[in-house]
Amino acid sequence: MKHLLLYLLLLLGLTACLDDDDLPAVAETDLTLDFRAEYGGEGLAIQREAYGYPTGDTLKLLLFQYYVSDLELLPAGGAAPVRLAEIDLLRWNSASDSATLTRSYRVPAGEYVGLRFGLGVKPELNAQDPSTFAADYVLNEAEFWGPTTRYVFAKIEANADLEGDGRFDTGLSYHMGSDALYTTVEFARDLRIGPGQTEQLTVVADVLRALSGNGETFAIDNPDQQAVHGGNQAVAQDIWNRLAAQFTLEVR
Amino acid sequence: MRGGLSIVLALLLCYGCDRKEADTPPDFAAILYPDDNASTPEGVDLGERLFFDPLLSADGTVSCASCHQPALAFSDGKPLSVGIDGLVGFRNTPSLTNVGYLHQPLFWDGRATNLEAQALHPVGTAHEMAGSWPVVIDALRSRPTYVTAFREAFGDVPIDSTLVGRALAQYQRTLVSMNSTYDRVRQGEAQYTEQEALGHAIFFDLGDDPGGPFAGLVRGECAHCHTPPHFTNQRYANNGLDEAVDLDDFTDKGRGAINGQRYDNGRFRTPGLRNVALTAPYMHDGRFGSLQEVVAHYNSGGEYAENKSANVRPLGLSVPQQAALVAFLETLTDDSFVVGSLRGVGLNTDSTDYSTD
Ligand code: HEC
Ligand code: HEC
Repeated sequence: MKHLLLYLLLLLGLTACLDDDDLPAVAETDLTLDFRAEYGGEGLAIQREAYGYPTGDTLKLLLFQYYVSDLELLPAGGAAPVRLAEIDLLRWNSASDSATLTRSYRVPAGEYVGLRFGLGVKPELNAQDPSTFAADYVLNEAEFWGPTTRYVFAKIEANADLEGDGRFDTGLSYHMGSDALYTTVEFARDLRIGPGQTEQLTVVADVLRALSGNGETFAIDNPDQQAVHGGNQAVAQDIWNRLAAQFTLEVR
Repeated sequence: MRGGLSIVLALLLCYGCDRKEADTPPDFAAILYPDDNASTPEGVDLGERLFFDPLLSADGTVSCASCHQPALAFSDGKPLSVGIDGLVGFRNTPSLTNVGYLHQPLFWDGRATNLEAQALHPVGTAHEMAGSWPVVIDALRSRPTYVTAFREAFGDVPIDSTLVGRALAQYQRTLVSMNSTYDRVRQGEAQYTEQEALGHAIFFDLGDDPGGPFAGLVRGECAHCHTPPHFTNQRYANNGLDEAVDLDDFTDKGRGAINGQRYDNGRFRTPGLRNVALTAPYMHDGRFGSLQEVVAHYNSGGEYAENKSANVRPLGLSVPQQAALVAFLETLTDDSFVVGSLRGVGLNTDSTDYSTD
């Protein structure tokens, strides 16, 4: 058995070498990618801002977060996508958090035609228990439901003032996720990423647009729609669909 | 080449199969041992001895174990901790069950980055051990058995507070509890009573699952914060203990006092709940004497503050449902952990009683 393994590893190494030879040598370069959270077009301020809601109510956000899987740049000319991250969690949960979270990667310099990611935890990772990962891995952030729904893909939590009395005393808690909800988000944009790259890429997510858009507004004053957790995912289906559809890529 | 690669991969995977372990994931993600303080049997033994030794306090009456008592899952049964000369502290003593698995900052307010750093706090704290490090270090250096033990654990370097902290951390990383009824049910070795099963379903919001046996059951919302396996997400929350119309109203500002962020006033780190039935009284100030009171608090939805968690809201649990939730919390008790930890008792010969006062 030992020998077999050795042989296999050798073979694997060989395969890797061959693959390398196929590619022309390319320069790697730094890429910073910003993830910005907004509410109604303004940078998201956890707790610090009282935001208007289309129903006439007011709310303060406590938490906004989402997982992305297979974050990839799409090279021009149809070469294999360049993976920036297999899985990441973008989270805003403190009044100290900046609206913009920055991530850095090393990527081959060149021309790209787009950026894409899966919103949520891709099925192959969603099938694995958190205990199989390192304790400080991004899938060990205590965002796990259990056997039926597994990881929580995205969360929006807020306290709302529904009576107009200045008390933010109605909790809103929307926790979404399941294999069926996993959605690919893709931006087709010509991007030139090279040494001395000046373009700043920002993935923007607007919480308001997840809650309200296309003439439809999620009724936060309906007591049956104030908490979506685990199995009652259907209640938040609209929020999820809007969330997945509202991402934009800013290139500056 | 692609085909060749997949054959190789398949063979490799198969090689994995006959080692037979892949199907059951481990219960807990492994402890993260710091690079500069890997645990050794000698270090753990030394840490255990130090933990139970009142030599670390100003007048030789208080050890770590005075407040972190093994029989109480390393808590002390008091609302607020009591240190040297009967001085009362301002927080409740937390259990140390599975503390080695917590990789986020420690204490109710997260002011210590890790176990190594935490261990340096109590010795110098006036209402705890009121000691002075130079005195403690002198005392340790003057005891040949300690000199030998430190040398065995850390090599030929002078005893200092850093090494004391490292040894204590190594010992505390052995305080592992994984044999509660909850664990045994998960492993298929035990079954819940009907009442415990109901409490489990409330704790984990199984009522949410439209196709499940508890469809429509009220939800406790507990696992958002008390997330398994250690029943904490290691994050800070206001679970509604005190009304604060203004966020500056909290008497104990908790997290906010550490990071200076007023929106974090009144937020505390979610405690783990393993062995919680042994660690009364509860909360950062020990205000609740029993789990019944804790559950009644959550059932009420708690007191108003604009930063109260949106997951703490009136639950509408009936009296039997509240009792069921308590019964479930009791399944988190691990008797073998408590018994196993008692082996530390009596280790230390040149000290006074450290058990209770
Ligand atoms: C007088 C009682 C007392 C003594 C003695 C004492 N502790 Fe504590 N311990 C406490 C209290 C109270 C807290 C919580 C303080 C806070 O969070 O503000 C605590 C917190 C801790 C924590 C953090 C646990 C967590 O989950 O965040 C650790 C670890 C700990 N103590 C270890 C020790 C060690 C090691 C010693 C001996 C060097 C020791 N303690 C001595 C009362 C005591
Ligand atoms: C929003 C997060 C959150 C939710 C939801 C929550 N807890 Fe807690 N829990 C906490 C925090 C934070 C504390 C510590 C609060 C403090 O002392 O200020 C705590 C403390 C406790 C304690 C005391 C533990 C100790 O060692 O003192 C128990 C028991 C407990 N919770 C049980 C529950 C139960 C049962 C539920 C569901 C009905 C629940 N919790 C829901 C965050 C939460």
